Amino acid sequence: MSPTLDDPADLDERERTALETLLKRLGDDEFVLAERYTEWQVRAPSLESDLALANNAQDELGHARLWYDVLADLGFEERDLVYERDPEDFRHSTLVERPFAEGDWADAVLRSYCYDVAEDLRLGALEDSSHPKVADRVGKIRSEEEYHREHAQNWLDRLADGEEGHERLQDALDRLFPHALTLFEPCAPPRGASASGDEPRAVDVEADIVDLGLRDTTLEELGEEWLSIVVPYLESLDLTVPASGRSDADTDEFEFEVTREMLPEARGRDGSHTDAWFDLYDEFTHTYRDLGRSDTTKIMDTPE
Amino acid sequence: MSGESPAPGAKSNFTSDPEVEATPCAYTDYREGETIDDLPATGEDATGVEADVWDALYGIEDPEMPISIVDLGLIYGVTVADGVATVDMTLTYSGCPARDMLTDEVETRVGAVDGVADVDLRLVWSPGWTVEMVTERGKDDLREFGLSI
Repeated sequence: MSPTLDDPADLDERERTALETLLKRLGDDEFVLAERYTEWQVRAPSLESDLALANNAQDELGHARLWYDVLADLGFEERDLVYERDPEDFRHSTLVERPFAEGDWADAVLRSYCYDVAEDLRLGALEDSSHPKVADRVGKIRSEEEYHREHAQNWLDRLADGEEGHERLQDALDRLFPHALTLFEPCAPPRGASASGDEPRAVDVEADIVDLGLRDTTLEELGEEWLSIVVPYLESLDLTVPASGRSDADTDEFEFEVTREMLPEARGRDGSHTDAWFDLYDEFTHTYRDLGRSDTTKIMDTPE
Repeated sequence: MSGESPAPGAKSNFTSDPEVEATPCAYTDYREGETIDDLPATGEDATGVEADVWDALYGIEDPEMPISIVDLGLIYGVTVADGVATVDMTLTYSGCPARDMLTDEVETRVGAVDGVADVDLRLVWSPGWTVEMVTERGKDDLREFGLSI
């Protein structure tokens, strides 16, 4: 049993880096996915799905805030985490930053499904976290996430049933699957402006996250579980899943053996991102910069 | 007019194709939460400054419904020691857009209570809020407002 890491003031350098890295991958995934979801508001194929996606985006923003709140204990304020942060310091998976092709609802639905299954698994692995504030949030977030997965799966079933929908899903799957695999890549510790150049390696920080009991499952184990859920389900919709590490053709057992060839060039978790991310970052920080803000919640003076 | 409109009182017939089964809305499952011991906290047994803090909290309403945040079940605990009031509070859901508004109001009102010099407001998320945390009085308030609970 790992000791409880409850007082941020008592954390040593290794513990602090592990906690910060874990929280950034959690919070950044949620925040960036929400930014993308909001693009669908008023553009989804029905008023019902406009509302559903808008609501899911609101949930994800809420979850991002819950994780960023824990980072506040480590001295990070909202402006450091979002509006004034170096875009290369973000640690989200490239799955959540990819732009949507205009009108490609199948992409939004498939992306949501891939993400929501992964999120449910990783929340399960945080339930007994040695950091009480992390564990405290899991139940709440999980209860809200259940609906997201239900929504995605519901749409997947219907889209896969029609010829055009099926085709679009297959396209989206071919395009997104390598990015989905980055959900399980280890995170490089944040470098930021104060980087000394001898930061620990991503795999070592990831090992610390598990050793310290912050999360009780390795990324490989999570990846394997994810494959064993996602692959059979997508195949049941007659979709062809790209190389996925199935042990042999007749089983639904998987080994998470991701090779360099299976991954996209930019992986997000290591701070490398696709160009789309830098455009998105410019967009959501635009108003903050345009108004010359230096704080996120302070009420502005009423103009004379 | 087609002359084929159904007689008054006839059953509506929106599903014209009998082969197509009506699909129920997937989101009618309003799960009821479990009852949690000691919650909702209502400050019944509080005395002194703590009782005054509870009174202040009772005076704060949810921004969307005419119900006190205490009766809504958002307050998980109050203690006052050495002039510091510690309030454990939750929100109905994580993406609550009124979070800052509510926490600011709690800090202001509790901070104004005689004997309280400082407020330590802790947002907690476990156990997660459910409808079961609404007090009986809260349920009456919500019913009067027109919600079925």
